[in-house]
Amino acid sequence: MPDRDRPISPGELCSLGYDALRRLSDEQVVGGYEALRDQPGPSAHGTVYPNIARLHQSPLEREKDRREVWNRAASTPVPEAQAFYEEAKRRPVTWWLQHQLVAKHAFKSCMYCGVCTARCPAAQFYEEYNPRMVVDAVLSQDEERLEGLLRSDLLWFCGQCGSCKPCCPRENNLMGLISSLRMLCQLKGWHLCSVRGRQQYFARHLWGANFWNRGCSLYFRNAAPEGHPDFGPRWARYWRAVEAQMARVGASPDQDGLFGGRKLPPETLEELRACVHHGGTLALWTAVEEAAMADAGRRGVDLDAYWTLVGSEG
Amino acid sequence: MDARAAHTCLHQPRKPTEMREEEIPTDRFFLPPSCILGAVNPSTEVCIARLYDLLGLTWRSASVGPRSQCTCCSAILSHGDIVTPETTLLTVARIWALAHEQGLDHLSTACVTSAAVHLECRETYEHEPGLAEKVDRWLQEACGRRLHIPKAIVHCSDVVYRHRNALAERLRYRLVDRRTGAPLKVVDHVGCHYGKVFPERAVGGAEDCDVLAGLVRAWGGVRVDYPERNHCCGMGFRQCMIRPNRGYTMACVLRKLESMAPYEPDLILTNCPGCNLFLDKEQHAVHELTGKWFDIPVLSYTELAALLLGWDPYAVAGIQAKTVPVEPLLDRIGIPYDKDRMYVPDPTEKAPTHEH
Repeated sequence: MPDRDRPISPGELCSLGYDALRRLSDEQVVGGYEALRDQPGPSAHGTVYPNIARLHQSPLEREKDRREVWNRAASTPVPEAQAFYEEAKRRPVTWWLQHQLVAKHAFKSCMYCGVCTARCPAAQFYEEYNPRMVVDAVLSQDEERLEGLLRSDLLWFCGQCGSCKPCCPRENNLMGLISSLRMLCQLKGWHLCSVRGRQQYFARHLWGANFWNRGCSLYFRNAAPEGHPDFGPRWARYWRAVEAQMARVGASPDQDGLFGGRKLPPETLEELRACVHHGGTLALWTAVEEAAMADAGRRGVDLDAYWTLVGSEG
Repeated sequence: MDARAAHTCLHQPRKPTEMREEEIPTDRFFLPPSCILGAVNPSTEVCIARLYDLLGLTWRSASVGPRSQCTCCSAILSHGDIVTPETTLLTVARIWALAHEQGLDHLSTACVTSAAVHLECRETYEHEPGLAEKVDRWLQEACGRRLHIPKAIVHCSDVVYRHRNALAERLRYRLVDRRTGAPLKVVDHVGCHYGKVFPERAVGGAEDCDVLAGLVRAWGGVRVDYPERNHCCGMGFRQCMIRPNRGYTMACVLRKLESMAPYEPDLILTNCPGCNLFLDKEQHAVHELTGKWFDIPVLSYTELAALLLGWDPYAVAGIQAKTVPVEPLLDRIGIPYDKDRMYVPDPTEKAPTHEH
């Protein structure tokens, strides 16, 4: 069993699960991760960083991210945006609709023409959903009704395509309004009431981890055939040599470079993380993490198992 | 809704319904890469640089030596509801600062959702008094950079559209059946976040967008209209990327394919990374689920340009990554290819010779 006083080899660090990683110091977890990430290896296509493939979506990456986010979120001075989102956790939904940057500009008025619903792909797929439900609840200004909406699955059906936007006679931005309400839902922990809402913990350590650790929302290994059997056998064949195929067309998989899959230098990542922090996102990520810890405890599973569970339910 | 927003609502003049071609800058672009394009369709992104080079355009990204300073714009996280709008404003402002430091005030994004996010940030500054000053201060505190709003924000397909006739003159092949001389039938699928989020910044607007149709005309083909032309591909961010939700994506793709199939298109042309991926890849899933094999190849506008220019179908256009084989289309046009080189990297193949 690893402990805080014993040096840990990179190979051992990568193999540890949540319970073992929890016993390690920040230096062992964060320092070990960064040393692995930045270690170059031999390649026919320039400098390559082979450990990124092992680190992405690993228990080590999630534990490292938890520690970095907790520590940074607790630091002072608290950024203005973070203070706003911390306050929103305690405020009513109607306060959010009046004060949050997107929500307050997204919705002007409604003439009940129904064209948003007529054009909505999600309303065509999910029989129980249409965007008018969200509009009606917002127009009601009824706190109980709004809370009911935020605790339901309905909020998570929107595909964020914006098909409703150009045809709305009032130029409402329902896509933005729904996204904004989803954020509030997570800040309050109400997303746990919905199987689709709980998926946000999976999303946090998918896109959020890509962004925090690689400076991209989507990392090329997220499209691996194991997670995408729907992509078919030709994609699986392409994937067998994905790094070589990407490099062949001029991309930079886990390498220095300008295009797809490029590794960003630590100083660029640090700038990005400071932007994430100053933008208040750490209030959201800590809320999602706290909710996940509580829900995992109730279900009797550790956070690694919980992450896998919520990413496969629905 | 607060009083300020109500004031804006009542007194704002009606927006234009489309972007005029003359509003697209012709040169001097900052090119921030796209996370999704680079991840799943890397040839499309690199071909943007190759096309800009071919057209003699000045473009730059930002790097220190070989190491990029460009992050993604946070669009997927924003539509995936796990970053605040303030974080997106700061992330985008940092990219704008990099562009400004390069002396470039025309931003051409590789991803349509990224274009929409950049435009949304710019619009938010117009709607929210004092926000620009606040973000400028936060950006200085976060990373020592300053807010500089670019003069123009366009998608790379806008730039190709603006130069479509110049490219047509250089094409080695055209969208024509080499045996019959008939123009090929092309379905254009414009990404939702290109035309629908800011119709006033889309060539032809939302309903009759011309950004891809214009390329089809200029390069010898005919655009085929069909009932579900404007329906979303179903990418949906959390819908396609979180596995239990993926039925939504498949259903949207099926709806489109069934609607276009009676018109017998030779090709689906796209300008959005998500559409380019899912309209192609989900044809396999649709086949598995329904037994229907539509077999309609899907290409992005830069993949198509690369092929018509005679660039290598595998080493440059990267068609070996496609789920629906493109080779039958190449046969119809008369573009040669060597299937033995499909998966074999050639050590003599060179990366594009652009700046940096």
